[in-house]
Amino acid sequence: MKTMYVCNDTITGIFSAVYDAWKTKKSEDECGIAIQGMLERELFCEYCRTEESEKKAQAVENLIKKHLGRRVYWDLYHAALSEDREKGDAILGTMLAARRIPDSRRIMEHLSHPKVEKVFKLSRNVGGEAHSYKGFLRFRELVNGVLYSEITPRNQVLTCLAPHFADRLPLENWMIYDKTHRMFAVHEAGKKWILVLNEEPEQSFAAQISERELEYARLWKSFCRTIAIESRTNPRCQLGHLPLRYRGDMLEMSDVL
Amino acid sequence: MRIQESMSMYEKLNILTDAAKYDVACTSSGTARKGDGTGMGSCEQSGICHSFSADGRCISLLKILFTNECIYDCKYCINRRSNDVVRTSFTPDEVCTLTMEFYRRNYIEGLFLSSGILISPDYTMELIYASLYKLRKECNFQGYIHVKAIPGANQELIQQVGFLADRMSVNLELPTAESLRLLAPHKTRKNILTPMRLVQNRMTENKEELAVYRSAPRFVPAGQSTQMIIGATPETDYQIIQVAESLYQRFELKRVFYSAFVHVNEDKALPKRTDEGPPLLREHRLYQADWLLRYYHFQAAELLSEENPNFNVMLDPKCNWALKHLEQFPVEINRADYKLLLRVPGLGYKSAVRIVKARRLGVLDFSDLKKMGVVLKRAMYFITCSGKMMYPTKLEEDYITRNLLDVKEKLPEEIRNMGYRQLSLFDDVRFAGSFTGKAGGAV
Ligand code: SF4
Repeated sequence: MKTMYVCNDTITGIFSAVYDAWKTKKSEDECGIAIQGMLERELFCEYCRTEESEKKAQAVENLIKKHLGRRVYWDLYHAALSEDREKGDAILGTMLAARRIPDSRRIMEHLSHPKVEKVFKLSRNVGGEAHSYKGFLRFRELVNGVLYSEITPRNQVLTCLAPHFADRLPLENWMIYDKTHRMFAVHEAGKKWILVLNEEPEQSFAAQISERELEYARLWKSFCRTIAIESRTNPRCQLGHLPLRYRGDMLEMSDVL
Repeated sequence: MRIQESMSMYEKLNILTDAAKYDVACTSSGTARKGDGTGMGSCEQSGICHSFSADGRCISLLKILFTNECIYDCKYCINRRSNDVVRTSFTPDEVCTLTMEFYRRNYIEGLFLSSGILISPDYTMELIYASLYKLRKECNFQGYIHVKAIPGANQELIQQVGFLADRMSVNLELPTAESLRLLAPHKTRKNILTPMRLVQNRMTENKEELAVYRSAPRFVPAGQSTQMIIGATPETDYQIIQVAESLYQRFELKRVFYSAFVHVNEDKALPKRTDEGPPLLREHRLYQADWLLRYYHFQAAELLSEENPNFNVMLDPKCNWALKHLEQFPVEINRADYKLLLRVPGLGYKSAVRIVKARRLGVLDFSDLKKMGVVLKRAMYFITCSGKMMYPTKLEEDYITRNLLDVKEKLPEEIRNMGYRQLSLFDDVRFAGSFTGKAGGAV
């Protein structure tokens, strides 16, 4: 009977499940990973709750980096942030498949393997969304000088965004709130960023917009309007590049200041 | 000339954005730089788009003019001396503050600073230098900066600016010296090519400096670009891509941008205004040809000729070339060398690389090609896999042309969505009595 390891929808959770499955030395057909909350029960499967721990996750991270290399780690890590419910299975399947080929580091070239193809697609999708948010995310300055942003991503992209902004805005206090997954990335000027899970923002954030902020918001919106060439107006082209789902959190696309 | 003194920041930004919008380039690519922790900013190699304006163009940089005052009178330009428009200028402080405040809110990737010519080229270049100096040295700004070199400005000054910028460009404005004389009477070809050459030479020297001292200051790391206006003057596509080719070869430019002429002024030296709008399809064909020059090892003289000097409205330049060279086809996917693969319609340079890699591991057939992103609908007339064609087809110009035209070309949305204009013959210079479209610009 196939054993499904059930874990939380976090990197630590998924990697812990990989750890448990890996240890049993079972083959791909005999084990899998399911995510708590996205579970679809199958017949002839035994479900087994993974005890998650940083230690297990770290061991798996090291294992991947050592045997599959950093680039494969990048793909597996991004796949683990995906909204797809079969991601855990794809990650485990890819790792098991890597074991069977002569050069495990080249596993991502084996796109004819369905699990590898899946990881490739998920990673590309998550990487794409993270890249989009690097551009589309907007900070608003609160009265206390903190830069505050809210996003609504499909995948858990915060850990991809935070290093980017930490590098870019090292001397600022900033906070990004992921409304979909209810988590924060928080950065204090001159320090390392941290991830805060299962928190709601204070109601009052929106009310704390500074005067100066309104002024810049006005300048930006006017800039975006003016820079377009009328005789080339083309809303459908604009829509193709900037899908509606991003617009809700973008200043220049909303009517409020 | 109207100069308003006490103007709000809001009004100034409006005017100086409006005056800058005809500049085509807004890309922030070509430099990868981590922040150093002391200021603000970083750069990503591929560039980042921050928004898209109503015309579907990417907004990546704060694209503004330093001033829209100008001592010159280029006929296609909204800012020309003889136009009665409200004039204003930023101060270096204002440019700096706007850039920093926009950047920290993640509105932009950096600054694109161009300018009209205030008092003299030197005077203007000094103001641009002062803005960039403040931004880089006082605010420690490490984001992207694209700046225009002003033709006729002091060489030393242009060099100094180049050490503060990521990309520099000098606008070629128009494809030929005659057109320049006609429409930009204060500019000369020589004046434009001199700073271009200077930037090129300095970049070469800088590469050597960097090879010796890794921490030597970097000069225009994202390279040099230029742009020219298409459709304001009677050059053929052949002339235009020959100019582009020589710019790539002789000046090592990173990019040549083409900008469909947009009517902003009435002037008898300009083509008559029509209802057609800017010649976007023509612009698109030129960009396609430009790709062929840069990534597909084509030469201008292979694509067009004196006898046949303009691109086909109906077919992209590569299909057009292939149809005229059927003797080179079909190409065997499992054997043909990389450069020949690049010439197959429907086969991009990425797929060509994938094919070369994958065929080492085994024999490829049509289903493999499909997975690699080859557009078989177009490629199938020109290739064989292990000696077989996908379907029995005739290797005959008329037959293939008809079939290719049945497969709708995937035009970019900005052209496709223009509906009636999609295949309008009026976009093709051969059919247009007068030239459509027009563009303005600065510098
Ligand atoms: S193109 Fe430049 S130099 Fe010519 S009028 Fe316009 S701003 Fe002045």
